Amino acid sequence: MFWRKQKAAIERFHPLHRALILDRACAVSLRRDDWEPVIQSLARHGAEVRRRRWRLPKRVPGVLVPMLRILAADMPPDGVLSVAADMRGSGVPEKKGPEQHVPTRPPISAMRQWYVVDPWLRMRAELRDGSVVELDVTDRIRNRRYRKNARGKVKLKSKSKTVQIVRVTRRLAKDAVVRPPAAPPPRWIRVRVKRGARMVIRANGKFPGPLEDQAMIDRILHVSTEPFRWTPPGTAARRAR
Amino acid sequence: MDAAGHGGEEGPVTVTRCHVTTGFFVLGRCGQAAAASCARCVRPVCAAHAGPGGLCPECAAAQGYGTHDPHEPSWTAGYRRHYYQSSSHAYADATWYASFDEYDRGAFDPGDDYAHGGDWGPDDDTGFVDS
Repeated sequence: MFWRKQKAAIERFHPLHRALILDRACAVSLRRDDWEPVIQSLARHGAEVRRRRWRLPKRVPGVLVPMLRILAADMPPDGVLSVAADMRGSGVPEKKGPEQHVPTRPPISAMRQWYVVDPWLRMRAELRDGSVVELDVTDRIRNRRYRKNARGKVKLKSKSKTVQIVRVTRRLAKDAVVRPPAAPPPRWIRVRVKRGARMVIRANGKFPGPLEDQAMIDRILHVSTEPFRWTPPGTAARRAR
Repeated sequence: MDAAGHGGEEGPVTVTRCHVTTGFFVLGRCGQAAAASCARCVRPVCAAHAGPGGLCPECAAAQGYGTHDPHEPSWTAGYRRHYYQSSSHAYADATWYASFDEYDRGAFDPGDDYAHGGDWGPDDDTGFVDS
């Protein structure tokens, strides 16, 4: 029997870890401290599994684990952290949109275009200041396939362009102290505020991609910064446990 | 009011609390009973936060004891400083970095501008270029 040691190692992993290996996706809500066994199981992956087919998606150790650590740092022990990770990639048929014909001019004789929308990470965390943060990361890929030749031969070319969209929503605790930030956010971040007993601050960031690992984390965190600039330091943590 | 933050009328008990910064966006203090003082910045630290050589997490990271592996629980404390510095540059907002504790800023480069409130001059890198 082939790969028996690695199969046995996968059986010993945390069930969520197994789901990320075999299904490349998982969706679950757990309390803060229940994520620690998942992270420790993921940490053992590289040492115990080497087969390419069972390799973890790069975004798991590169983005998912750091974001789990960051959000868990702001949560009380009984806070719930929800994650819906879809690491199947952009080639999955259900993520593909309808194809359209695009007008062309010579030497391109025909062009088809379609978009792929890949919401690969969604997280929701209940923070210790009573606010709730929701984070969505989506890849929007424009694919173009076209026929290009001036001499009548059939030559197919293709291009793709990725735009990554990060949306962070923070719903503040009831009657939280709010102070609009003195400086505006960078131009690539858009902010919308919904006032009320529980103020909602939503920041959207759109940038060319695909970014991976630390560059991606930095972008996510830069978008996440804006909702947190609306609460003065110190006042937000009054319910800290 | 004593070092523990309790009123003086409640009794003579004075417990020194751990001053290590916790959290990432929502910063707070650890608040557990301190077991030692950091050998470098002398702030009180609890047993859970005392690192190698008796250093607090920020001083340990500044000395090169920090980890770059996010699977390690201590990774967040080391990455937090990088985040506050880079986001302050991205937002051109000195007050955002100033919300980060002076201990945490100063541990890495005591004596620089950031260690004393955080500011940068017109010649420093703020993302703008001369045309």
